[in-house]
Amino acid sequence: MDRDCGPECQETLREIARFLDGELDPSVRAAVDRHLSSCDPCLEHAEFRKHLKQLIASRCGGDSMPGELLLRVKALIEIEGSPGG
Amino acid sequence: MPSRSETAAEAEDPLLRERFEREAMPLMPNLYSAALRLTRNPADAEDLVQETFLRAYRGFASFEEGTNLRAWLYKILSNGFINAYRKRQREPVTVEGPDDVDEWYLFDRLGALHAEGSAEEQVLDRIPDEDVKGALESLPEGFRMAVLLADVEGFSYKEIAQIMDVPIGTVMSRLHRGRKALEKALFQVAVRRGLVSG
Repeated sequence: MDRDCGPECQETLREIARFLDGELDPSVRAAVDRHLSSCDPCLEHAEFRKHLKQLIASRCGGDSMPGELLLRVKALIEIEGSPGG
Repeated sequence: MPSRSETAAEAEDPLLRERFEREAMPLMPNLYSAALRLTRNPADAEDLVQETFLRAYRGFASFEEGTNLRAWLYKILSNGFINAYRKRQREPVTVEGPDDVDEWYLFDRLGALHAEGSAEEQVLDRIPDEDVKGALESLPEGFRMAVLLADVEGFSYKEIAQIMDVPIGTVMSRLHRGRKALEKALFQVAVRRGLVSG
């Protein structure tokens, strides 16, 4: 894609990460939303990054924890007694 | 004579312990996953999680109910990792970004190889789980932690700043550079797996 497509596209692409991370102020967010609904190339970029973010979320978490670890920590807490502060 | 707060904490002990088991303990599997990404091996991850929960338990009376328990636990995990494992692993503390990586590195490379609509996404989906984890684990520690906290754990920039004890601007820059490095690592994996030609 030619990304020298105009200031609005450049502005949108610059904000994509913060947009997908839910970190934009409502007014900027609305502007990005508006632009994405009318610009296919920018939408494609946004969708790609969204997919990548979801891929990392779904593949890099949820490892199965050894059940023995939970039991061990519980036992250690028993020994520890009252929680401190 | 015990101070008033100590008396209060003592009186509430059975409740505190109950609350710790009810609210903190169920988060252990998530913290274990994060610990695995950080330490990169199961034995160290178990040690780190055990240490994190013991520390958390010892400090639980000073944890303010109604505040962010999850972020508090991740902060203890993060500190524990930095103190114990980084030294041992002797990983250089790098703050260098991957300067040779373009802003849309992966999108451009995958897009250039496949003309049809969602082919880029399909290439990503075919990368095996272990390789996606490996790509994240290949990132320098500060970047890895930022990406892990944002993308896997879903913390806000503000929460990540608190957990990592850095300004929000630093969080954003580490996320930006970390994600670029991750795109590069994923592309290399895709080439190695024969999913795309380099």
